[in-house]
Amino acid sequence: MVTADKLNELQLEPEVPELDLSWLNLDTEWGVSAEPGRKGLTLQQINKSLYGDIPATSEDSSARPRGAAPPEGATPRMTPWVLGDATETFSDSAGLLYDEAVSRQWSSATDIPWDTMDELPEDIERAMVQLCTSLTEVEFIAGDVPGKWLPRIAADHFESGLFLMSQVMDEARHTDVFRKRALANGGGLLLQGGGGGLRQILEAEDFTQMSSMLHILGEGFVQSLFRLGELIAHNEAEKRIFRLAAQDESRHVAYGVTHLKYTLENDPEKAEEVHWTLDMFENTLVDPDQANPGLAGALVYLLGDGDVDEGWRLFWHVRRKQVLEYLHRLDVAGLSGRLESGRLHPALAGALDEN
Amino acid sequence: MPESDVVKAAKERLEQSGLPSDWLDIPVHWGVKAKEQATPENGGLRFEYLNVDVYGEVPEHWDNNTEIPRGAVPDTRTEQMGYSIFDKAEVWSDLCAGLYEDAIAERWNSSADIPWDTLEPIGSDMERAVCQIATLMSEYGWTKAQTTGRWLQEISYGYIEVKLFLGTVVFDAARLYEVWRKRALSNGGGLGRGGRNWKFLPLTQSYTFSEFCVASIMHDSMLLALLRHGEQLAQTEAERSIYELCQKDIERHLAYFVDHMRYLMLKEPVRREEIHRYMNKAEWYLAKDGDDTLYSALGVIMGDGREGAEEAMADVAELRREQIETYLGYLTECHLGDREDRLNEELRKWAGIAPEEEVEKIPV
Ligand SMILES: [Fe+2]
Ligand SMILES: [Fe+2]
Repeated sequence: MVTADKLNELQLEPEVPELDLSWLNLDTEWGVSAEPGRKGLTLQQINKSLYGDIPATSEDSSARPRGAAPPEGATPRMTPWVLGDATETFSDSAGLLYDEAVSRQWSSATDIPWDTMDELPEDIERAMVQLCTSLTEVEFIAGDVPGKWLPRIAADHFESGLFLMSQVMDEARHTDVFRKRALANGGGLLLQGGGGGLRQILEAEDFTQMSSMLHILGEGFVQSLFRLGELIAHNEAEKRIFRLAAQDESRHVAYGVTHLKYTLENDPEKAEEVHWTLDMFENTLVDPDQANPGLAGALVYLLGDGDVDEGWRLFWHVRRKQVLEYLHRLDVAGLSGRLESGRLHPALAGALDEN
Repeated sequence: MPESDVVKAAKERLEQSGLPSDWLDIPVHWGVKAKEQATPENGGLRFEYLNVDVYGEVPEHWDNNTEIPRGAVPDTRTEQMGYSIFDKAEVWSDLCAGLYEDAIAERWNSSADIPWDTLEPIGSDMERAVCQIATLMSEYGWTKAQTTGRWLQEISYGYIEVKLFLGTVVFDAARLYEVWRKRALSNGGGLGRGGRNWKFLPLTQSYTFSEFCVASIMHDSMLLALLRHGEQLAQTEAERSIYELCQKDIERHLAYFVDHMRYLMLKEPVRREEIHRYMNKAEWYLAKDGDDTLYSALGVIMGDGREGAEEAMADVAELRREQIETYLGYLTECHLGDREDRLNEELRKWAGIAPEEEVEKIPV
């Protein structure tokens, strides 16, 4: 062992870094100011002048912030490929949705009134923890997917990157809150409810295809369901969980819709590809073989509060709303006509029938 | 447990209606009531309190490649999801659940929590220097979020606590990116010059999670040492709070990385040499990156303008020495204290540590 004294003897003066002042004379845009507004200093407020110009195509796979001067000397390629074309990932609302995500974060530990959960009848508690088992599972994949795509987002299109980063956080909280509910009130986790197209979202190799499945159809259905959470919840804690999660899902859905809108406006030929993706994903959603055995039963049971006939009636009420809202979102995105052209899966079209 | 009448009746009703009822056959670990610990003094229902009954058993090896929640009963029809991390030693730290909740409890908002109205003109050189640092901070935030996010799809639900925590790291890194961008674009300046990025390759290229962790320890600890100088570097109250808030986030991230590496070294000491190789690589890239822009900008700030920069470089050198010291300090905490002897030659100069040959000449 070298003694401390000896080491001290060997302590040298640290080397002084070279002083290079060339960065004091860059020709990046200068003189930019922003004033905080009602919500503070948001991304919208700094998206000015050249720094707000979103390149339609980015060649830059590095981490250089949009508008910064390129470094001197050789630079490495950071990833094998980025989605440089804005039509691949961009949404005009991404920055706004990120700002909103930051200001509307909540805590599953402290913002849910867990003490309002009284003991529930055994059948209801079982149905609720079954539903939550399926939901924590779905949310788990919903967090993996944006994580997977992050390295492929061009730094020039950072708004989409930031949005996806906020989604990773939101989905962590959803995975967490449904696990918490399952373990909070006497029940536990029950039957896995995999399938239902989760893998198709994960394995998609095109961002817009992925986003149509995840953000528009998948999370759209989830959001419509959560918004009707009052029908499922048995106490204030559960109501709050669904309400807060629905708020988060609205942002995720809004990103998907505005991204698709941006893509279709700039690349109309993409429409048919998205139709195909939705054909496939709708089919998976209603495929009895893919059905999640716990989810449907528990959901119907909870909706009817144990009365299965009433539960079915309300299930179709929920499904009808899901389909209507889905079609509306596609309209807004500029992908209309699935119902009229007979392209919407018959099992979903059938849900629109009032009876 | 004998089936209760109410469950029996529920099954009958479901079956009559053609709905699956097998989920009602699953043995329930009845009585799991995490809510009982959810008092305001305890911080509400924190994730740590879920570690009850079978749900708290984190297996050494997790053998399910689907997204099945830990503690649920498998549906064997579910497709595999392509996860690649199934060993506790590979990712675990007991701190994860707590750090996850801490991150949420300590969350902040760069729009509203920074006193932006305290910004004021600070002179052209100083503004350039602050903006140059801001540009490089953003760059690291971006890289950190991207490279952390990439690991989510590799980690199975067996280690859910780790994934939840990494989710907060991604979100914190997003904020690191945007709060500095905001600083650069709000006070009459603009962005500076991007970095060369060679130093980030050990993060972007990491083939194993362990490599990602040691590269993160290196970058985060060097960043932390810099952020700790916030009081000295900040020109306004706004910057002071940016330094302070970012520092807290990075300390949380390091708490995980370090505790995890400590766990790995205890569980799999045989991997020590392999881990040193990752450090060799990370340090080599950092040294070779050769981008002095950050330190020059710090020189201008510490020298209160370009005229004083030359003289201030001695203080900058001291700060850079602290960076290496902080890095080595964290490595010592993860039982990698032998790193000092093997530190990259260039970084030894930064830290003022004599070259390895000199040290070897000392009689033991
Ligand atoms: Fe979600
Ligand atoms: Fe979501």
